Amino acid sequence: MNEETVFSDSPAEVANTWLKAGARRLHLVDLNGAFLGKPINESVIRSILDEVAGEIPVQLGGGIRDLDTIERYLDDGVDQVILGTAAVKNPGFLHDACNAFPGHVMVGLDARDGLVAVDGWSKLTGHDVVDLACKFQDYGVEAIIYTDIGRDGMLAGVNIDATMRLAQSLTIPVIASGGVTNLEDIKKLCAISKEGVMGVITGRAIYEGSLDFVEAQKLADRLDD
Amino acid sequence: MMDIAIVDYGMGNLRSVAKAFEKVAPDSRILVTGNAEELLDADRVVFPGVGALGDAMRELESRNLIGALREVAQTRPFLGICLGLQMLFEFSEEGKAKGLGLFPGQVRRFADGMLDAAGLRLKVPHMGWNEVHQLKPHFLWQGIADESRFYFVHSYYVETSQNDLAAATTCYPHPFVSAIAFRNLFAVQFHPEKSQAAGLRLLRNFVLWNGTAG
Repeated sequence: MNEETVFSDSPAEVANTWLKAGARRLHLVDLNGAFLGKPINESVIRSILDEVAGEIPVQLGGGIRDLDTIERYLDDGVDQVILGTAAVKNPGFLHDACNAFPGHVMVGLDARDGLVAVDGWSKLTGHDVVDLACKFQDYGVEAIIYTDIGRDGMLAGVNIDATMRLAQSLTIPVIASGGVTNLEDIKKLCAISKEGVMGVITGRAIYEGSLDFVEAQKLADRLDD
Repeated sequence: MMDIAIVDYGMGNLRSVAKAFEKVAPDSRILVTGNAEELLDADRVVFPGVGALGDAMRELESRNLIGALREVAQTRPFLGICLGLQMLFEFSEEGKAKGLGLFPGQVRRFADGMLDAAGLRLKVPHMGWNEVHQLKPHFLWQGIADESRFYFVHSYYVETSQNDLAAATTCYPHPFVSAIAFRNLFAVQFHPEKSQAAGLRLLRNFVLWNGTAG
């Protein structure tokens, strides 16, 4: 949290901009929540949902540690909650969440060299990312968001091989995340979409402008033609 | 003022559905309700839902909604969404749960490990944007180009023997029924309330529809 960049002070307006630009899905992270292990930005999240709910699916992560929080977010109009550290440290909680809210739970796994990291990447666990993802798949999670932490926010390119290996090992969809810099990354991901990579999350690259969002979406849309 | 009732029976949050209707029908009263009388009083009924068919039927039963639902599905503009499409059929393959049985057919799960013709590895759930191939003209398709993309998230799909029922198909990898139309009833497997402009247009069309076939 010591190196933060603020791109806008009106998240709802920003969300609306991406909606109008043709975004197919919105990925939200309560960064303060993730840091503190409890929801911090609920009113901001609600203002974003007011803008986009009823038009595109929204997924949200950051600081979700109990079933009540999940229920509140789903009632607010979030489609899928994303559990990260909580799922890894407390698989029982993930299991309960999948049973209580089928279809509404995703897991975000951050990994380096095939090992899962927790607590904002500060701790590397001994868990193999593919093994853990398979176990969570059996719990009934809807999708895995895979972030290669050698790369996220570093604009260093996507770890295509690691993303593909994970997607090949699972029957549920994988969303790639981390390291997207430019259209070349999107092209590489499109090339492995047939392995079951349903989408990619991009943040910094579209805010800083190294990736043209509209062009990227066009490229991804052409996959189905 | 027109009343649009959205059936609330504990299967999924209905906020995005309600929100979408607030956008396309600003002059209507949007009622999220699990009350049979309110359904019977409404001018239009929207039947959404996600989850398993068996659970959904139990929820409907416990709220005494089955009779009212059967009634409104045959008497006024009615829009089923996702599970609200599947529930209209006879039964579900898994768990052998019974549906409302308004149409012949069953609900089946996509097989794991499916590959399409190009070797595309198909995941279950079928999640994301996919093309909807319109099979016949209908008021609800007005202003929506054939093959437009809509947002899907489901592991089950409908298989019906009633050939004239399907209003659209979608490939995953084989064509499945992604919309049905029958008299005053229209139902879709995708989520128009999460499908950008095309979805809002379909909902707007539903609000304007007089409930006659075609």
